[in-house]
Amino acid sequence: MRRGFANVLPPLLLGLAFLGAWELYVDLQGVDPLLLPAPHSMFAEMWDNAGLLWSNFAITAKEVVFGLALALVGGFAMAVAIHMWTPMRRAVYPHTVGSQAIPIAVIAAPLCFWWGFGIFPKLVVIALICFSPVVVTTVDGLAAVDPDQLKLLRTLDASRWQAFRFGELPAALPAALSGARIALAVGVIGAFIAETSTPTTGPYAGLGREITSDLTALQTSRAYAATAVLFVFAIGCFYALTIAERKLSPWTNQSRGEIR
Amino acid sequence: MQTQVKSRERQAHDAPGTSDAVRLGVVSRAYLDRRGATVQALADVSLQAARGSVLAVVGPSGCGKTTLLELICGLQQPDSGMIECEPAVLMPQRDLLLPWLNAVDNAALALRIAGVSRAQARRRGASLFEELGLAGFERARPNELSGGMRQRVAFVRTLLSGKPVLCLDEPFGALDAITRQEMQEWLTGALVREPRTVVLVTHDVEEAIVLADRVVVLSPRPGRVVSELNVEEPRPRSRTDATVVALRERAMQTLAESRAA
Amino acid sequence: MRASSSVRRAALLVPRYGWSLLAACICAVVLGACGTKQDVVSAPGTKPFTVMLDWFPNADHASLYTAIAHGYFNSVGLDVRPIVPSESAEPLKLLAAGKVDMAISYEPQLLLARDQGLKVVSIGALVQRPLTSIIALPSAHVSKVADLAGKRVGTAGIAYQAAELRTALRAAGVNPASVTESNVGFNLVPAMLSGKVAATLGGYWNYEAIQLRQMHKNPVVIPIDRAGVPTYDELVLAVRSEEARTDGVDMRAFLQALTRGERQVRANPAAAAALIVKANPSAEAKLQLASIEATLPATLPSDHSKPYGWQEPSAWAAFGHWMFTQGLIHSDPNTAGLPPFTNEFLPGEGI
Repeated sequence: MRRGFANVLPPLLLGLAFLGAWELYVDLQGVDPLLLPAPHSMFAEMWDNAGLLWSNFAITAKEVVFGLALALVGGFAMAVAIHMWTPMRRAVYPHTVGSQAIPIAVIAAPLCFWWGFGIFPKLVVIALICFSPVVVTTVDGLAAVDPDQLKLLRTLDASRWQAFRFGELPAALPAALSGARIALAVGVIGAFIAETSTPTTGPYAGLGREITSDLTALQTSRAYAATAVLFVFAIGCFYALTIAERKLSPWTNQSRGEIR
Repeated sequence: MQTQVKSRERQAHDAPGTSDAVRLGVVSRAYLDRRGATVQALADVSLQAARGSVLAVVGPSGCGKTTLLELICGLQQPDSGMIECEPAVLMPQRDLLLPWLNAVDNAALALRIAGVSRAQARRRGASLFEELGLAGFERARPNELSGGMRQRVAFVRTLLSGKPVLCLDEPFGALDAITRQEMQEWLTGALVREPRTVVLVTHDVEEAIVLADRVVVLSPRPGRVVSELNVEEPRPRSRTDATVVALRERAMQTLAESRAA
Repeated sequence: MRASSSVRRAALLVPRYGWSLLAACICAVVLGACGTKQDVVSAPGTKPFTVMLDWFPNADHASLYTAIAHGYFNSVGLDVRPIVPSESAEPLKLLAAGKVDMAISYEPQLLLARDQGLKVVSIGALVQRPLTSIIALPSAHVSKVADLAGKRVGTAGIAYQAAELRTALRAAGVNPASVTESNVGFNLVPAMLSGKVAATLGGYWNYEAIQLRQMHKNPVVIPIDRAGVPTYDELVLAVRSEEARTDGVDMRAFLQALTRGERQVRANPAAAAALIVKANPSAEAKLQLASIEATLPATLPSDHSKPYGWQEPSAWAAFGHWMFTQGLIHSDPNTAGLPPFTNEFLPGEGI
């Protein structure tokens, strides 16, 4: 408990210091609130528009969580395929790496073509963005498995699949989560871009849409409030993934004790 | 060169007519090294191990000891000569315990692979742990265990593979002297409770004499049998016993002579 | 060390069963994600009719949202569903591709799309005049177009708006080369506020101008048709040419319901503003109401015998010709093929 508190305190203090400096700057420089709002008006907007921000947040959160899940499942499967079959590795690996560079707006349109205007195309956009880092880390995680351990399993009469299940799979899952952690920040931005490059139905279309429509409506404080929510959300997801990774690979983090 | 190469399958099912569990006849094996040159690992090696006995193979580094074990286990095929042995399992030099499984799960690995349920495999593993003095360490993870403990768990894993012949490749090579002695005593005790045919490879002559019923000395590469000693002292033996010391001297001398040759 | 507590046992079992559990969770999540594809069922007796707006729901869509809320579309057998686009070229693209039934777009955009071969046609106009304006803050000291000489003007980077600017400058006797055009995207107002540009072209006199006035900024507003550009219909209702041929009944029904909606907006603008806010929670009721009221005069044609949504053929001809002479389109719509608009589905018109 105390250790958790000690971990939270430094970044919290730094954040508060930053907010304080920002507030001072805006007040002293007399910046037009439409260009750069002060933190206090940002927090006021959060309070006043809690319902609106929450509804939009729920949508963006859903997109990111499901999109990441899709990326994990797809990326994991792809990494296993690349690891097990050399022709796959040679043919597909460069493409998965290159896929990260594709601008989202380009693929968003055909996605809506196929899957309509709901949340699904946005999930696919986020999944595509987060896909590549997951593949890369999982492939690396699989390759890092000691080949002698696999050989040992074979001497115990394990089939190729059994050797994979006991010897490689448990190493691959934490690696995939590590890739998801890396992809997360880009994934949240991906949600923003996905929301603003695809049509939407319904009054709530996520924080990304909220931010752009607020900026054009000159509701700058609210746009910043929505951005702050995204910021905190990204941090939350990052730590959630870190904890999940730690739970799934307890053997990497335990302090080495000696039992004779 | 006469080639009577036996397939791994046939080796596994070969029940030699004699009381020997392992029998090698004039076996030679060469391989290509990294640069493509032929390296003769073993030349005309003949040896046998009676069922239930411990055969120790000693020799300097690089004399083909590991190759010998792999041949017995069927991981390699001899270039010439004949191998007849009951099914054998290899315990490699490093313990190679899977870090994500606890001790008993690691030990019961062969059972899980054979299709035994997790619960049942654990039960069998736990009973063997109990029998061999490892009770209480079932749930420990490999990174919590000392080197000696890990080797013990690896040995149980080897036992649980269900094969009658165990090939141990320098099992205590990485341990310090005190632990090594502990482990030798432990192994002797374990084999009393769970008798198997053991082919033990080691560079420590003393260890060979303390543990084995027969000791085979190999020359430097290419490995040839230069001497065979029977050790008839009752177990447990101590390195300070007179017979042990005498045998050790003889073995060391043979080794020195073969090196000089 | 003796391992004995059952808690520890359970905790260490989780990673074991955890694999299957995790796999099950992920499968559930993925299936759930797939299941989020929207499939709203229409009310009985109506068929779905998707309308892609030109932008976020705003005052210009008052008649549409009012008609939906009052069930006018339902009573003619249409379940109208508005969709918000992500950028202004999307509505016509998706319309031509068959993904939406109707697109709200701009007359210039429609003519450009037809020029590129998209088979779309306008069946009604939501506004009878351009809303696009040149807007400047008092601090820029711009009171008429001629004052823009030597200054910087911000636009959203749309090609025909650049042409509109050039035409306006020439009409005021200013050499267009003396005016620098800056692409400020959709940040027209912030660009003016920061002083980066003296004026902008692209803001609407019924939206940005009112916004600024409500902020006590007192902008100078010059609608583009008062600056020398031929008049055009800012917002039009576009459908696929083929549907205009075969689905005349639906087109007519739609416009009938929309006209009723328009009448209702006139009767109760505040209620209409509330509907816009409901559809777009980011919108501000005060601004939307002011915008609706300011737009009302522009929604009906000056010729009172003509119905709501009327598209004046002479105006379309003049504007089409202007686009051609500006090099924005390859062929003059007056000479090439079928007209880009039709009034036949408006109430009281056609057969």
